[in-house]
Amino acid sequence: MDERINRQNSVVNRIIDGTITIDSIDEFKNLLEAFPNNSRLHRVFADLLKKKKAMNAPAAYHKAADLFLKEGLPLQAITSKILEWRIDKPSDEEKMIFFSVLGACNPQSIPSQEFFPKLESAELLDLMARMELYSCAPNTRVIEFGDEETILFFIVSGVLEKSLFHRPALQSQAQKTSPENLMESDIFGDIYPFETVLLSEAEISSLSPVELLTISRADLFALCSRCPNLGKWVQVLFSSRMKTKQGTPLKTIRKTARHPLPTQVSLKIFQKDGSRQPLTLNGFTEDVSLGGACVVLGLNYQTGDPALLTGAPVKIQMGLPIESIKLNILGDIVWGKEILSEGRKMSVVGIKFKEINPIDRGLLEEYCLGSEAEQNLIWSLWSTLIKSEA
Amino acid sequence: MANSDKTKKSPNIIAVGGGKGGSGKSIFSALLAFWMARRGYRTILVDVDLGGANIHTLLGLKNPDRTLNDFITKRHEVLDDICIETAEKNLRLICGASDILSLANPFFSQKMKLMTHLERLDTDYIVLDLGAGTSFNTLDFLLIAHQKIIVLTPEPTSIQNAYIFARNAVYRKLSRISNNSPTLQHLIKIAMDPKNILKIRTIKELLQFIEESDEKEITELIIKEIGNMKFGIVTNMVRTPKEKNAGSIIKIVANKYLNVQSEELGHVPYDSHIQTMVSDMIPLTEINPSSPAFGNIYEIACLLLGSRI
Repeated sequence: MDERINRQNSVVNRIIDGTITIDSIDEFKNLLEAFPNNSRLHRVFADLLKKKKAMNAPAAYHKAADLFLKEGLPLQAITSKILEWRIDKPSDEEKMIFFSVLGACNPQSIPSQEFFPKLESAELLDLMARMELYSCAPNTRVIEFGDEETILFFIVSGVLEKSLFHRPALQSQAQKTSPENLMESDIFGDIYPFETVLLSEAEISSLSPVELLTISRADLFALCSRCPNLGKWVQVLFSSRMKTKQGTPLKTIRKTARHPLPTQVSLKIFQKDGSRQPLTLNGFTEDVSLGGACVVLGLNYQTGDPALLTGAPVKIQMGLPIESIKLNILGDIVWGKEILSEGRKMSVVGIKFKEINPIDRGLLEEYCLGSEAEQNLIWSLWSTLIKSEA
Repeated sequence: MANSDKTKKSPNIIAVGGGKGGSGKSIFSALLAFWMARRGYRTILVDVDLGGANIHTLLGLKNPDRTLNDFITKRHEVLDDICIETAEKNLRLICGASDILSLANPFFSQKMKLMTHLERLDTDYIVLDLGAGTSFNTLDFLLIAHQKIIVLTPEPTSIQNAYIFARNAVYRKLSRISNNSPTLQHLIKIAMDPKNILKIRTIKELLQFIEESDEKEITELIIKEIGNMKFGIVTNMVRTPKEKNAGSIIKIVANKYLNVQSEELGHVPYDSHIQTMVSDMIPLTEINPSSPAFGNIYEIACLLLGSRI
């Protein structure tokens, strides 16, 4: 199964995709203690620090870049590095260290990820200096049909929809057909070969919050003219893309698989210092995964700001649709907040699962995903019935 | 053709679910009920999305003066009293009550009362708009319906959730039937563990196992009830011809692993006109008849009126 749909930790994903915003640096630090190796979470944290003009923002981007490289995601690492270096100019030594780690990284088998480690340090530095970051909200038109193609876009995060146009007859109006999703690490923008000016045959809009790393055709052309090695790898990048256009899209499915399974839970929340009786609450999960759950607390939670529960150990009993089955899980509350729904305040907590016995884990897996054989058949049919070429 | 038979009989209940939020269940339910009514059948659309009721908004009602909460809290004794007339002749609405958080998880007795009274309503058809997810409440409302419709969109996660919805409905049904048999309950519990020692991996295998048990009477009942369980599948928001196949995936996998026969009722094309109506809060009863989605839902309504799935 594609790793990109296999990110199960819904609590974290909601923060990463911006559905949940954490505005407190301290609260975020608590969260990072629970998820110390999550590159995307570190990146969101760095953005928060930058927004708050905190001194340690460059260090947070540095950490995010390191983690992205460990995951084989040079595109995301370079984006973090650009943001770091635009706040805090790097020394020559820092540049060399980064480029050497980048060159040694084992990128995911995606053309845009394989592209950057192939470049020489000086080429990368020139390229990074000319690249721009562009963020947009959902439903933003990034490219209009008929626009001149002047920019190459790398998708750092988010999902866009590309709708192609065709004219049934020469004089007729162009008609929109075949929408397809462009996902993280895909590229778009028909700027190659540089000598040919193309008009866009597609309309591309964001479906989610999107971050793009861009470079103009003019700048890339100029760089390639000066650096033959860069020119060679740009050619490889575009030829891989042409193959992809003719075959299966690089990314065909959504990057996260959340399980919006409202499930009754009872929680026993222990005081952090163990001083008082545990707080017993009922609620239901808004979504659940193998790593954690987002739980809406019942009306009996009237104890105060749910953020105060952050860090508290919790024992969860989760009832599955088979009435007699209750899963017992130990975890930590990693965030808590009040949300407004239908004009009413509700308390919601994010729980990271810590301990779950193998039998209960199997049951939870079955509940979330179904058996492996069922899942494999679903994905296989998806590939053959929907995504395959005619 | 209107049902002119005045002899009171139980209404035909159609439940619309699908697991995933955003698959267009509520819009589909509203337009399906609309067509039932337009074809002359007395129809009641019931919003049983108890945690997030919103179907009244789709029909142009901003603040309904009667909701299910009035029935649950005994302000009104019969469901008929909380039915609200709509702009469409023959179509009435029972609104959910999202402002009452506790109603998202009603007591068992409240749920049973609601189910019993639904079956007593004097109408030809009841369309239940179920909430997202596979909570007991959602599944139990699905299970009382004569026709069980799963709405999905052609996205992997939606297909996955639709299948989980079907699977959990089957488990729920199994669990309820075998309520009085500790042996079978235990067997089902074991089977829920994907790595169980009996090597039961699917409901189909579980049914084969149950067949070999000594409890002949209940075994026959289980085999019969699960065998009678059928889903109607609707693929919503279809943009390309291939996306129509999403429903086939559920059909094939449910047949293979759940031992459940399903019928593809059809597909509904993506229709930006409907999205605009929802955004602009224009009642769906004012939909342009040339809307492609509307036309396809008409065909599905005709299919449902012709036979019980």
